[in-house]
Amino acid sequence: MKRRNFLKSSVVASCTMMMPAFLKSGFGQSNLTSRSGKILVVVQLSGGNDGLNTVVPFENDIYYKNRPTLAIPKKEVLKLDNDLGLHPSLGSLRDLYNNGELSIINSVGYPNPNRSHFRSMDIWQTASSSDEFLSTGWLGRYLDSDCETCSVYQAIEVDDGLSLAMKGEHRNAFAMSNVNKIRKAADNKYLKKMTQLAEPEEHNVTYLYKTLADTQQSTDYLYEKSKAYRSKITYPKSSIGKDFKQIAELITTDSPTQIYYVSLGGFDTHSGQKKKQHNLLKEYSEAIEAFTKDLKANDLFEDVVIMTFSEFGRRVNQNASGGTDHGTANNVFLMGGKLKKAGFYNEAPDLINLSNQDLVYDIDFREIYATVLDKCLHANSSAILKGNFKGLNIL
Amino acid sequence: MDQKIQLKHLYLRAGFGLSAKEWIDRKDWSIKKAVNELFAQAEKANPLALIARVDQGPKSDDPKERAKVRTAEKQLVKQISFDWLLRMAEPKESSLLEKMCLFWHGHFACRSRAGYLANNQLNTIRKHGLGNFRDFVKAIAKDAAMIRYLDNHRNKKNNPNENFARELMELFTIGIGHYSEEDVKEAARAFTGWNSNKQGVYELKKRQHDYGEKTFMNKTGNFNGNDIIDIILERKETAYFITKKIYRYFVNQEINESIVKELSEGFYSSDYNIKQLMRDIFESDWFYDIKNIGTKIKSPTEFTVGIFRQLNGVPTQSIALLRAQKALGQTLFYPPNVAGWREGKYWIDNSTLMLRLSLPTSIFNHSNLIFSVKPELEDMGKKRIRKFSAKIDILPVVEMTKGMNSEETHETLQTFLLQTQLAIPQKGIQSFVIEKEERGKYLLNYCIRLMSLPEYQMC
Repeated sequence: MKRRNFLKSSVVASCTMMMPAFLKSGFGQSNLTSRSGKILVVVQLSGGNDGLNTVVPFENDIYYKNRPTLAIPKKEVLKLDNDLGLHPSLGSLRDLYNNGELSIINSVGYPNPNRSHFRSMDIWQTASSSDEFLSTGWLGRYLDSDCETCSVYQAIEVDDGLSLAMKGEHRNAFAMSNVNKIRKAADNKYLKKMTQLAEPEEHNVTYLYKTLADTQQSTDYLYEKSKAYRSKITYPKSSIGKDFKQIAELITTDSPTQIYYVSLGGFDTHSGQKKKQHNLLKEYSEAIEAFTKDLKANDLFEDVVIMTFSEFGRRVNQNASGGTDHGTANNVFLMGGKLKKAGFYNEAPDLINLSNQDLVYDIDFREIYATVLDKCLHANSSAILKGNFKGLNIL
Repeated sequence: MDQKIQLKHLYLRAGFGLSAKEWIDRKDWSIKKAVNELFAQAEKANPLALIARVDQGPKSDDPKERAKVRTAEKQLVKQISFDWLLRMAEPKESSLLEKMCLFWHGHFACRSRAGYLANNQLNTIRKHGLGNFRDFVKAIAKDAAMIRYLDNHRNKKNNPNENFARELMELFTIGIGHYSEEDVKEAARAFTGWNSNKQGVYELKKRQHDYGEKTFMNKTGNFNGNDIIDIILERKETAYFITKKIYRYFVNQEINESIVKELSEGFYSSDYNIKQLMRDIFESDWFYDIKNIGTKIKSPTEFTVGIFRQLNGVPTQSIALLRAQKALGQTLFYPPNVAGWREGKYWIDNSTLMLRLSLPTSIFNHSNLIFSVKPELEDMGKKRIRKFSAKIDILPVVEMTKGMNSEETHETLQTFLLQTQLAIPQKGIQSFVIEKEERGKYLLNYCIRLMSLPEYQMC
């Protein structure tokens, strides 16, 4: 349809934004799709968080023997049950645990674990086996299969760039570290004018103009949306604190976004781990605290599931530099206002039967993805994960 | 079809486009002359100077010392990447060879985290990039960076590791569906003990090599790695697999089956002569068919290198460019996995597109970009893309449009910079540039405006 015809026939009154001429199908319509299921917030701890000092087996001698200077002393552990407790920085998670709003899954991993950050992160993000290379992410494939009519910002990564997890074959998530910042980039008079004037013909050029128009309109939409509500909770000033504030504001103003993805890096603690991990977990815990408080104040915590993972855990024994080296299985957290099963999902990791000095996994990470996809996003997990995972009875 | 557009097509696909100066000199050349010159220039290219391994120091067991060495090696890889990008943008270098290297780097995809390994591999790629594919595969099988990346250093007689053998067939030569799992196992045995020493030089560890009899693709013998490669290359499917990939990269993502078949027959009967194959492509009529022109989305490297090259720009420091490359999704020596980068639409999402469209302004007006790049997994904190600093020379563009009115100037700049039809009316752009400004400034702004469009993403 040419521009002139389009202008004649279009009824854009319901949309406050100018519609680029070449876009035949209404962009605005898809905005109205409402969410089904819950909102998923994925938190990626990059670098390999030391799981044994996160969920501490404070009654286990092997743990203390292997980590003479790095183990968390029993008296400092935030005790959850008779054997396991949390790192002292994780106060907010203890509160959630006590409220029945946190589920801890121990020993999560996959067969033939890879100890390279990049490879293991790829495995987690693409939900592949360790000898398989996939070029789409698990959430990207969710967008491919379940999101034909979704808005462009059905899934938002709070970052300037997209992770592989968020890239599908036909659809991608929307990358946006900060709504004001992306608006500054997208609110470009020249590009806006060009998008209005464009009448692309070649299919790749059309695709590029469409992506541009989608970005401009999504940005305007999200900017307007997030202006409508300013969180009343004080968030920590850390980068992840700001990320969570951004997410809370979008959730509260009822953005149709169903998936949010944030990362916190720096967990590769080969040396001087004590202080580094303490600071990082504190940042994480404080952000979670403000976020959950915010959601609860708005009666929204029951609509949200937060999943936290890292690409691998670390070795049982500490190394010579007050740190730990790359390991394998690790714990995963699921949080939310309405969990079917809270508390510890399974037993503490087995520190006796190791494989190459490393923990042996008990639960395949794709079981957790299946749980989240089926229960939280109401999707068909077996198609997305290319295999049948029954899922865990947590959500 | 306009000869100028055809000529630009050749230079965009066989290289990284032309600088204004090159364009002025060549715009009336025949295709034949241009093709001959591209290949002649490639013949003259020299190997890269060797880079030494970073000194391990006396305390090589200390984790802190080792971390220092790792950081220094990673720094060298960045320098090698930057130097490579500069060569691609430099008219005096062979853009055909550099383009072939970029293609092969994505084909024999390999992550390198040490300077000497990356540099050696790039030299191998330069040496064989327009040579014989058989020699090329054999050299890659002995390349230290590849050996480590695909675990062949762990491939031992008593405990074979199949990683290299599998990818050799699946991705590097014949493609999936033309070999059995048994072939993978037997091929892995033939490559046992193929290792490299600390200096990154190939070494056969005889005690780890399996000298026994193997049965591979219905042939039986005491095969070693070279024999395996020869057997794979005896199969015509290999010539087809490589030809198809080259066609999709250099000609069109949508393949024309009969052309690819014919090309691959030629490739096979020339015993895998890559130069001949590329000549067959660039000298064909169909290469210049309208449906092959201006329909490819530039890779991040083609895009950034093209910007610099076209306006005679030279980045004066590496960090901004390397971070932009990373944010756009193509860090050299760091492909996403062994399958290499996915071309075409896969480069584009809301973030990479906005960055592409703001990059020309930021490069040439030295303005700030507000994009950050993700930290590497071992590092902390997001890194902001720094301000670019680049030397540029607009004089050739001034000369190119000398004495022209605004209509002619627009036509000339559009032809020079874009390879697809402008999707917006000319006056749309003109209302954003001030013609009364000093000529060089006006032209630079005009170029930046054109380069900031979706159309400029095409080649």
